[in-house]
Amino acid sequence: MSISLFLISIIFLGFLSFFWGKRKALLLKNTESLHSLPRYYGYYSLAWFAAPSLLIIFLWLLFSESFVTNQVISLLPESIRALSPNEITLRMNDVKNLAAGNLIAGESFIGLEQAAANYNRITKLVQDVAIYSSLVLSLALFIFSYRSISGKLRARNKVEKIISNLLLASATVAIFATAGILLSVLFEAIRFFQIISFDDFLFGLTWSPQMAIREDQVGSSGLFGAIPLFAGTALISLISLTVAVPVGLMTAIYLSEYAPSKVRSYTKPMLEILSGIPTVVYGFFAAITLAPFIRDFGVTIGLDIASESALGVGLVMGIMIIPLVSSLSDDVISAVPQAMRDGSYGLGATKSETIKKVIIPAALPGIVGGILLAASRAIGETMIVVMAAGLSARLSFNPIDAVTTVTVQIVTLLVGDQEFDSPKTLAAFALGLTLFVVTLALNFYALKIVRKYREQYE
Amino acid sequence: MSNTLQETQDISEIVNRGLKKRYRSEFMFRFYGVVSILFAVVFLLVFFSSIISKGYSAFTQGELNMKIYLNEEVIDPDRLRDEEEIRYANFDKLVLDSLKTYFPEVSSRKERKELKSLVSSGTSLRLQSMVLNDYSLIGQEIDIWVRLDSDIDMYLKGNIDVSLDESQRRISDNQVRWVQELQEQNLISQNFNSTLFTAGDSREPELAGVLGALVGSFFMLIITFIVAFPLGVAAAIYLEEFAPKNRFIDFVEVNINNLAAVPSIIYGLLGLAVFINFFGMPRSAPLVGGLVLALMTFPVIIIASRAALQSVPPSITDAALGVGASKIQTVFDHVFPLALPGMLTGSIIGMARALGESAPLLMIGMVAFVVDVPTSPLDSSAALPVQVYLWADAPERGFVERTSAAILVLLFFLLLMNSTAIWLRNKFETKW
Amino acid sequence: MKKSISIFAAAILMLLLPLTASAAARDTIKIVGSSTVYPFATVVAERFGKSTKFNTPVIESTGSGGGLKLFCKGIGVEHPDITNASRRIKQKEIDNCAKAGVTDIIEIKIGYDGIVIANSKKADVLALTKRQIFLALAPEIPHPNGAKQLIKNPNVTWRDVDSSLPNIKIEVLGPPPTSGTRDAFAELAMEGGCKTFKWLKDIKKENKKRYKAICRSVREDGPYIEAGENDNLIVQKLNANPKALGVFGYSFLVENSDSIQGSFVDGVLPTFENIAQGDYKVSRPLYFYVKKAHIGTIPGMKEFLREFTADKTIGQDGYLTDKGLIPMPSGEYSQFRSAARKLSTLSGLN
Repeated sequence: MSISLFLISIIFLGFLSFFWGKRKALLLKNTESLHSLPRYYGYYSLAWFAAPSLLIIFLWLLFSESFVTNQVISLLPESIRALSPNEITLRMNDVKNLAAGNLIAGESFIGLEQAAANYNRITKLVQDVAIYSSLVLSLALFIFSYRSISGKLRARNKVEKIISNLLLASATVAIFATAGILLSVLFEAIRFFQIISFDDFLFGLTWSPQMAIREDQVGSSGLFGAIPLFAGTALISLISLTVAVPVGLMTAIYLSEYAPSKVRSYTKPMLEILSGIPTVVYGFFAAITLAPFIRDFGVTIGLDIASESALGVGLVMGIMIIPLVSSLSDDVISAVPQAMRDGSYGLGATKSETIKKVIIPAALPGIVGGILLAASRAIGETMIVVMAAGLSARLSFNPIDAVTTVTVQIVTLLVGDQEFDSPKTLAAFALGLTLFVVTLALNFYALKIVRKYREQYE
Repeated sequence: MSNTLQETQDISEIVNRGLKKRYRSEFMFRFYGVVSILFAVVFLLVFFSSIISKGYSAFTQGELNMKIYLNEEVIDPDRLRDEEEIRYANFDKLVLDSLKTYFPEVSSRKERKELKSLVSSGTSLRLQSMVLNDYSLIGQEIDIWVRLDSDIDMYLKGNIDVSLDESQRRISDNQVRWVQELQEQNLISQNFNSTLFTAGDSREPELAGVLGALVGSFFMLIITFIVAFPLGVAAAIYLEEFAPKNRFIDFVEVNINNLAAVPSIIYGLLGLAVFINFFGMPRSAPLVGGLVLALMTFPVIIIASRAALQSVPPSITDAALGVGASKIQTVFDHVFPLALPGMLTGSIIGMARALGESAPLLMIGMVAFVVDVPTSPLDSSAALPVQVYLWADAPERGFVERTSAAILVLLFFLLLMNSTAIWLRNKFETKW
Repeated sequence: MKKSISIFAAAILMLLLPLTASAAARDTIKIVGSSTVYPFATVVAERFGKSTKFNTPVIESTGSGGGLKLFCKGIGVEHPDITNASRRIKQKEIDNCAKAGVTDIIEIKIGYDGIVIANSKKADVLALTKRQIFLALAPEIPHPNGAKQLIKNPNVTWRDVDSSLPNIKIEVLGPPPTSGTRDAFAELAMEGGCKTFKWLKDIKKENKKRYKAICRSVREDGPYIEAGENDNLIVQKLNANPKALGVFGYSFLVENSDSIQGSFVDGVLPTFENIAQGDYKVSRPLYFYVKKAHIGTIPGMKEFLREFTADKTIGQDGYLTDKGLIPMPSGEYSQFRSAARKLSTLSGLN
């Protein structure tokens, strides 16, 4: 029986078990009173039917491959089994390619055909065992559950218990994900800090992560002082915020206080487009269109602007986060109670005076929270800086210089070179950890401010 | 009395004096608002016109109408019709011979090379596969449109300045002259570039396409959806409808908020450390990419689904509970169906974000050079945004327009997903 | 509604089907290694994939050193089959390979590549000597007064190095130590310049290690800027900054001949003829290394070798020469071609 046929029959039988369970309940209804609605008896049988199948399919997916491989290896001729384990995996690749009907390399060894046949045979055997055992087990458990259906059976409670446990399990995935992130980054970062001291990393002024990869190679002492990266990240984020905050804030104010509804209905989707453009596209635009433009502009006014200047990158990144600032500000501005506006108008203030003197001060904590969120977005942004910012870790606060950022360095350190025991690669994880902690702190703090602010007016 | 009147007049005078200034500042403030919006509008216009003006030309490709004699002496001199032998035949020679019929004066090695590089290096491979499909073509003259080399194509599209000195441009004076002669004979035309949608990556711009990347992205999105949607919706239902108020749930909530804010590149580090190094999954595979993107989209779907659940009015819940439904029945029979369109809308928007994401994919090796179109989520593959990144880095001039074209394709799919989401919202949205 | 949910669930299960059906065997060649060989290898791979029935090999650019390290990790499907290198394998690397069971390695030289020192066409062509390169980029240089002592390199502008050179800041964009280009640059250009000081050359006999440390190190105080493994990036940066020089392979000069120009080194320009005839001294061979154990197990290995070593590929008029590869003299070529056919392995460095 093929896998697809099996899956289809499982689905079909699953439906069947549901209907039989339900039918029995409906029949019972004539003679006794039921604890639950009939369909719950159906779900009850379905759960019994499906559980063993799912479990066996899961185990089969997990272990079938390695089990079959081991079996086939044990059947290989003595001469091949005597090879090193790695050699054997190569031979097995041959076997699997032949078994799967792929092209094989041509050269065969004695027993290859036999092994491929074995491979297919054992795979089939394991598959059959899995299929039939799950079918038998499922049917047996179905029959058991079917027989246990009676008016007194608390089917609904049982089914609901299963459902709520599944729901709870899904919610806890979030914890696993966070733990996974933290552990994977932390684990490698700790290995890094065993080689490079924490102080050198956090307070060093020179970033030059070159490590000789052979012992006889000369030069290249690695220096892992991350201050230039932090400074570059801060510079670019700062430029982007000086673009995004005024524009985003004024957009939000204009849209919520002045704009006729028609303008709003056109402007809002436009801002959504702005936030929907992939960052790689922004990066391309920054590198190909904006950076040369800024450079040429610099030449006309007699300024020597680097083609990877922080200015160009920051500008594009600023535009990218305008929608974020504007939508967050919009939220907090419209949360300011109308009574405060009315009070201000009543005293004769103009609209702009009301906004400047009443609404913005009242909304300030929320706006600051929004700006912090935008900042954390800017710090963690990768593609724009990878494509348009430089690699040279220069400690400079001049916006027309090329600087590099934490995310750029993570990408450069990890793309291609996959060596896992050199401080060079591990440095990427240390940078990742720093990035994670900083953005986490920013977000945590920002959300706290925003929440507090909301509670104030609710 | 007169005193107060005097004061009132004084005050109103002060007020009136200040009024002009106040109105001006009112006007200026309003003006700043308009300027801000215009700034965004102008950027969008510049942005799209820049991408479109760079990219539209990639949808056509210069082609040359050639008559090629499939010389049996070259292809299969021994008349064996053996596939292996034909594979190693010198099809380049056939192309060169055909070109030489137009320009018989070409003789030196340098000129031959220049002449040969008028047409794409893929031409001989195309002839090869034509012959392998149909041996009866051998010995015949065929009349086909072949793609021009990318540099020539760039010249035809006006991207190469021929007024510069020969050493400063990618095509030679000879090639310019030949192309002009061929143009006069009406043998060259710009045709629709179907390769862009039917081929995988290539080192030659004229042979490169986005299909491999599209398929890779498609596999990833499917995996993302299968993993993230059920999990996200279930988690949202639990947190919104069932979760007790305790510290554990608070902890879960904090985690979800954090996950939503973690920079995408960190998810790439997770994928590298956990999926590839720990579980030993293959590098560059859409499976791993899909899982990473699923983790990234998971919190987005939870947040969207919770908003959808919240928008279902409590009266529905109250009514269901009132007639004796259990909590689970209430949620699954009444609240969930009403919230589903909202959940799907939010999820599609989250998936659109995942489609445009490339930073985490760089971490898990999806930047390899992959020509073959993947057939399963375990094959090596690129993804659409990563293809944009790779092409943006390629040195050949022809890849600039193709990068923009790939961006247009990417934006088209994003638009498609977002408009599907909006359509869903409008169709199923219930106003309470 | 419920019906649509169950249809939806069924659809998801159907989509899962192909996942379970995919085989675990590897039938695609995996290649890692030098970013200088990468543009050649990708062209060969693409042609190979399109003209044969085998899959197109998957290539990642990891630098020569990184590639050899991955290559030497062991035998088996999870390890790469081929690594490209823009320098020859070192004895230490052979030993490392052997430790992991990678004993039979086939060495194929594919041709030569000049290392060019280039700048943007917007600036003037520079004429440098190896000695000047050494004086500009070494961390420590001999005292200008001729005393046999080393001082920390004080040169800031090219004028400081030699009064005949222009008065611009020394800014050289070059590859990191993982790169074979960097190794070759240090060995050919830096050491070549270092040797012109007789007393430094004499150190070699006494203390080889110290000699290497003096002659092959590159300064880390700013003028030499590491620009990553990606040679394209260096080219782009040169376009942007006409004052800077870049160090990379000749093939990248060919690909970008419309915007950048090579500098004279010891009076010779890096051109195809000059490199091929050996007049331009800063050139190095390019290699790729193949695990013999994988031939016969990963489909297409032998055919890929044949394609890569064919006359139409790396011969005098091979298609890789269009991409900037300098072909080997025909005697040397036929030697490596027959090595590839016979699959003869590396027995030791000679």
